[in-house]
Amino acid sequence: MEKLWPVELSPRTIYLRTFWAELARVHSHLLWLGLLADAFGFESMFLQFWRIRERVLDLLEMTAGHRVIPSVNVVGGVRRDITPEQKKVIIDTLDIIRKESDSLVKVVTNDYTVKARTVGVGVVTKEQAFALGCVGPVLRASGVSEDVRLTKYDAYGDLNYEPIVETAGDCYARTLVRARELFQSIDLLLEVLNKMPEGEIAVRVKGNPPANEAFVRKEAPRGELIYYAKGNGTRNLERMKIRTPTFANLPSLLVMLPGCQLADVPVIVLSIDPCICCMER
Amino acid sequence: MPLMLPTILKNLFTGYATRLYPVQVREPFDKARGHISFSEDKCTMCGVCALRCPSVAITVEKKQNKLTFYPFRCIVCEVCVHACPSEAIDLIFKWRPSSYDKPEEVYKSTRLEHLRETTDAAKDALASKEDK
Repeated sequence: MEKLWPVELSPRTIYLRTFWAELARVHSHLLWLGLLADAFGFESMFLQFWRIRERVLDLLEMTAGHRVIPSVNVVGGVRRDITPEQKKVIIDTLDIIRKESDSLVKVVTNDYTVKARTVGVGVVTKEQAFALGCVGPVLRASGVSEDVRLTKYDAYGDLNYEPIVETAGDCYARTLVRARELFQSIDLLLEVLNKMPEGEIAVRVKGNPPANEAFVRKEAPRGELIYYAKGNGTRNLERMKIRTPTFANLPSLLVMLPGCQLADVPVIVLSIDPCICCMER
Repeated sequence: MPLMLPTILKNLFTGYATRLYPVQVREPFDKARGHISFSEDKCTMCGVCALRCPSVAITVEKKQNKLTFYPFRCIVCEVCVHACPSEAIDLIFKWRPSSYDKPEEVYKSTRLEHLRETTDAAKDALASKEDK
């Protein structure tokens, strides 16, 4: 929305937004890893992952006030700030999350049963993934190094970031990408907290959205998220369009599903991390 | 399975991950968004909160001096708290207790009543002055 005016954001706002984006990625990937374990019948693993996720939700509640959807962004800034005491708690909790996830991710990536259910299942080649317009971890698991964070939006220009890529293109590769991104996100969170500059958290934006249009790409946990907004100088926007990553990833099922075993369908459908309620807009 | 063993053993010898909910309740964090409450002595029934609310949780009928709040529609996004020109909406950092039904909360602005009374009195005074 700030691109419509356009408004210059304070550096602290940008870092805080990056912080919450990465925290949401940690939470989303832990949720997905749990759901994957559930999809192939490893119920205790599912609850173990969600147990770790609870710590992330506590961090979100502490910093933003809500447990899943932070609702901290306003036009021109954010509503909440991170205090030095909170920063200390966050760093300690992230350390625990890393240790706990490390032992579980080792199981997911090395266990015989997990491999039997995921290796070679739902293969999408690099060309197919590119042609079907896949985004996010699905595209990266097929060997395409594509991530919106590479465009250095928000604070990613200052952070030490490089995309995680696997080449196999099967469910196992998608699991590996998400598992490695989980640890990468924890590293990014620590980097964000260390580099966070002091300053204002919000700038006052006056007036209605001007007659202008803005197009923004962001990397959500599931992949590339697109926002398009068009103002006409009045209080209401003329047009607002959001394209969620699931909408772009669904066509890949056309390649993955034909000829597969019926028992593999839940694992394959889940491997694109579908969110149908997000997609339907 | 052997890879899972350390986690299993750890679970056996550590405490529960859950708590007996109604008996043991975790206190929310300091700034957790609990619920919103309206101050009847500050509200002027201007209706800005009802206009801004994304989940249609507030309706305002100024003529009847009646503000209806539907707590179970509210998503505690804080928009109304910041939009209110007379700072009549407060964010309470405690969760609302769970409930079997979805009650509505009706508020009546004492400030608006007072304003109306004073304007009526002023009008009467003006009318009696003109009569004389």
